[in-house]
Amino acid sequence: MDEKRGRFEAEVLPHLDAAYRFARWLTRSSADADDVVQEAMLRAYRGFDALRGSDAKGWLLAIVRNCHATACKQQQRRAFVPLPDEGDVQDGYAMTGAMPDPEYASIRFDEARTLDALMSALPEVYREVLILREVEDMDYREIAKVTDVPIGTVMSRLSRARAALKQQWQRQIEGAPHAAP
Amino acid sequence: MPHPDALHLQAHFDNELDALATAEVERHLEQCAECRAVLQDFADTRAALRRELTYFRAPPVLRTRLTQALDAERTPENSRRPPHGRSRSAALPFWAGAASGGLATAVAVGLAVLIWAPPPGSVLVNGLVGAHLRSLMSNHLVDVLSTDKHTVKPWFAGHTDVSPVVADFTPQGYRLLGGRADYLDRQRAAVVVYQHGQHVINVFSWAGHDHELPADATRNGYHFVFWRSGDLQYCAVSDTAIEELLGLVRLLQGLNAGDARG
Repeated sequence: MDEKRGRFEAEVLPHLDAAYRFARWLTRSSADADDVVQEAMLRAYRGFDALRGSDAKGWLLAIVRNCHATACKQQQRRAFVPLPDEGDVQDGYAMTGAMPDPEYASIRFDEARTLDALMSALPEVYREVLILREVEDMDYREIAKVTDVPIGTVMSRLSRARAALKQQWQRQIEGAPHAAP
Repeated sequence: MPHPDALHLQAHFDNELDALATAEVERHLEQCAECRAVLQDFADTRAALRRELTYFRAPPVLRTRLTQALDAERTPENSRRPPHGRSRSAALPFWAGAASGGLATAVAVGLAVLIWAPPPGSVLVNGLVGAHLRSLMSNHLVDVLSTDKHTVKPWFAGHTDVSPVVADFTPQGYRLLGGRADYLDRQRAAVVVYQHGQHVINVFSWAGHDHELPADATRNGYHFVFWRSGDLQYCAVSDTAIEELLGLVRLLQGLNAGDARG
């Protein structure tokens, strides 16, 4: 048992921050993230023997995601958000491709808070794929495993997520009042 | 070269293309400001997210709670003992119940295993979806371009682990385009590529293991038809109508039957 605990602390516990970060963005609440991560860690510990040398981080994040889904179902605290249509990838491209943004790089007003708010406002399937790709730096195959969808779906979701974030960002910039001198 | 499609360009940005496809996209980028601007958008968004998005870390109090919870998991004796004091049981409402019996623990273990180990069939289908999509988008449809089965079949011998049935069915409407090596189910698979009307049909084949073949499926608009012949497992994938796909499958199965008799 102690040996198991030692291996768990060496292989899984280093990913606690990533698990928390993922849970924090999924739940959008620090209290819920605490609960989800703790539940996930215990499930991971009990099922640790099933890991057998495969990617511990992806495995843990998949459990986090599952615990979050279970918690959502139990509490039914969130309104049902329909999945975006996966069939057509072209409109995502049109959105991304058609946006000239000469000012994008120069605008920094409250950027962090704005980005946090924009990210929080995205549908969950977009949020999770963006966090896994851009923050956790996982590749398509790893993301497909964590989110339990085919790689093609990861690709189209990522494309739509990037376009949606970009569009919201653009709207924010255009809608924001200019800073007083 | 025409614009690469959106997902292809994105895959380039995410470092997901092979060397050949990468070189091709880069040649296109040299002379296409529009696609360069799309890539710049991706890069700006990534830079902003990595620089500005709040980078959360597990709070110390959560680490402490976890350590205590794991301590309580250590031995069955410990888990049967009631938690020390009120504060811990209040802080850990969900595990306290689960730790009270071996059955609940067993269920939790089962859940964790299920989460990470979907049925082998779905892993295989996911792999096939990915391989099929990659073949369509990366200009890596065929490694050996030939309408002659006597060229394609020997090529497989040197490049894959299997030697599938290969034939040209142009008269029946299924033109042999060539063959390709791919990676599937942890082994080198052979792919025979056919054209039917405007549709591409990939026929994957790999050495059959003991596990059962998945049921025929439709995913993302693509049909998957599985069958087994001799030591090999086959899967035909296409977005053509299912009846058209089954037509090719029947022709291939007919050949196999002929081989077995001959």
